[in-house]
Amino acid sequence: MTSTSVIDELKKTQILELLEQGKRIDGRALDEPREISIEINAIPKANGSAKVRLGDTEVLCGVKIQPDKPFPDTGDKGIFMCTAELLPLSHPTVETGPPQAPVIELARVVDRGIRESHMVDVTQLVIEKDKSVVGVFADIVVIDYDGNLFDACSYAATAALLTSKTPTWEMVDDQPSVVEGGEKQLPVSTIPVSVTMGKIGNHIVVDPNGDEWACMDARVTITSDSDGNICALQKGGSDGFTLDEMVKCGETSVKVGAQIREKLKAAQQGGQ
Amino acid sequence: MGGRDATMVLLDKNGIRCDGRKIDEPRKIVIKAGGLKNADGSAYIEFGDNKILVGVFGPRDVHPKHMSNTDTGILRVRYHMEPFSVDERKRPAPSRREIEISKVIKEALEPAVMLEKFPRTAVDVFIEVLQADGGTRCAALTAASVALADAGIPMRDMVAAIASGKVEDTVILDVNNEEDQAGQADMPIGYMPSAEKITLLQLDGVLTPEEYKKCIQVGVDGCKLVYELQKKALHDKYFGNKGD
Amino acid sequence: MGDKRKYVIPGDVVTTGPFRPEQNVILDGNKIIATTIGISEIYDDSVKVIPLTGMYIPKIDDLVIAKVNSHTSLSWELNINSCYVGFLPAQDVFGRDFSAHADELSSKLKTGDLVAARIANFDRTRDPLVTISDRDLGQIDSGELVEISPSKVPRLIGKRGTMIQMIEMATDAAITIGQNGWVVISCESPEGLLKAKKAIKMVNEQAHIVNLTDQVKEMLESKGES
Repeated sequence: MTSTSVIDELKKTQILELLEQGKRIDGRALDEPREISIEINAIPKANGSAKVRLGDTEVLCGVKIQPDKPFPDTGDKGIFMCTAELLPLSHPTVETGPPQAPVIELARVVDRGIRESHMVDVTQLVIEKDKSVVGVFADIVVIDYDGNLFDACSYAATAALLTSKTPTWEMVDDQPSVVEGGEKQLPVSTIPVSVTMGKIGNHIVVDPNGDEWACMDARVTITSDSDGNICALQKGGSDGFTLDEMVKCGETSVKVGAQIREKLKAAQQGGQ
Repeated sequence: MGGRDATMVLLDKNGIRCDGRKIDEPRKIVIKAGGLKNADGSAYIEFGDNKILVGVFGPRDVHPKHMSNTDTGILRVRYHMEPFSVDERKRPAPSRREIEISKVIKEALEPAVMLEKFPRTAVDVFIEVLQADGGTRCAALTAASVALADAGIPMRDMVAAIASGKVEDTVILDVNNEEDQAGQADMPIGYMPSAEKITLLQLDGVLTPEEYKKCIQVGVDGCKLVYELQKKALHDKYFGNKGD
Repeated sequence: MGDKRKYVIPGDVVTTGPFRPEQNVILDGNKIIATTIGISEIYDDSVKVIPLTGMYIPKIDDLVIAKVNSHTSLSWELNINSCYVGFLPAQDVFGRDFSAHADELSSKLKTGDLVAARIANFDRTRDPLVTISDRDLGQIDSGELVEISPSKVPRLIGKRGTMIQMIEMATDAAITIGQNGWVVISCESPEGLLKAKKAIKMVNEQAHIVNLTDQVKEMLESKGES
């Protein structure tokens, strides 16, 4: 993300030297993510919300659920959409203006990780076929940057969706109208968890922090669902992974993902 | 705070407003200085149900260079609302309202910030409204002033802000969302307490000359209350509650 | 806090009367007003505020830790953690016989390198001139860079160097403190390094507490892992 900020050579050398010994600059194991804190209902007026801290990275997701017009070719499905914005206060190098390719990639990867897991069943979000459907919008904003926005944003969106409340609508005089007493939890079917790994030299580290992110050569984000199946994957960066590395990353993402899923479940319990 | 009624009574016969407040009672305000790791200065404010975060960078280099000023630094302010901050989801692109409010807040801060000390640089103020409930520009200006002080940007004074207004022919302090929508007047005020100068003033609504004068006075008094909370926020962070 | 020192925020009136305004205060009528968060001090006839926050403003002779941003064929541009960038001319490193054709700057210092440097000259109309040609200056090739707020540097050094010496002796680390808030720690043992980092972090975050020195001492002497 901070391609224009210069990482000092000293730090890069230290990171590599420590990795040769199987260590990381902040003392973590290679497959250990940072401390995650999840605060649900951070924005009470939204339908659902969650603030996630992953090390010093902090992101906030607010979910809005409201009636909308269906897409022309899918009148029997509701709308689910994730967006992401890197706020200029999150890092000195962030510029204002329309989102650049890295942020667009971030939003689309987070969106796919949740969409492909079928966490939100869009066929259940229809008010009247071809006329009126329910739109579920998970908007994520990055407040402080310290590496690995992919996972932080994904956890925030997932936690927010897990604890979202939605009204029920019915058509009255051709318009969607809120049904009194029809508020309920947003129905979700699985808990997708994304795990991002960075490649620095020949080493692969889970949840790169800001310094590691600035000197890594490639990365891969893998999302798995509650059944341990892999449902989305994105490789990025300008170096490559070997086949064995990629397979190992898949295994690591499911293993680490399962641990993080427990944290998301705990946050969900806290909200109900 | 009392619950809000759908068949709104903005001021009942006992002088109680729709959210249970008296006519000169501001909403609950909490201000925290600092909190962001990467910004040079930051502040977070809760003003009733408003939740606003401000980050400041600077003084720093200006790009493109032609936008910088050889005699003085420049102040840039971006007021931005998140899509989930309002009742009906807002699209991410800046609206005309946000652009106008950004300008008004910038001009409210400029008299306070000593930009002439840093020629050819810029001070950037980024305001993010996380949850909105009437009076966001005043809460934003208040927090921006704390964030600038937190960043160590030299300032002649703080700037505190609150909105006065009118409902049921009565002048009130700190207009909330319902009062803004259904009331008779809304007057946001920004004020420098030491210099005793008004640096933000807008009005929506109709006031008689007496009401106008009263609104300004009530607003300025309200700003002084808000200033005490700005002071507390900075004292808590920097002086560890040991301030004189 | 005695009479002569007060906690202030921007806009606070420090005093009134015939005083000369020095750093971080302005004169308004007969009122002397603070312009930053800090501690005001009144001397015989002048008033100043010691800031507790704010970015680094270069002063001549300051020792700073800098990072190379870029270079042309004639000079390096250094990040000195300020809105001003440091200007290091090639002659400072290659000597007076420097030739732009023969001598390649990146052979001595390249982008991303860290250096200990001194501010040679500065006025606010142009970027500060920097030098690395003294014995205690030059490229830093080992150690870890830690950032603190420049306003906390005096606290980290301590009265006559007491705070920094205490940390160095307890951790066996060699610590170079830049006035610009960048600090380099060199330590043989990883435990010593982590402890030194922790001590520096404590000073940066709790500079305002009265018994900071005791608290840091206690932490350094404790056996537990960081």
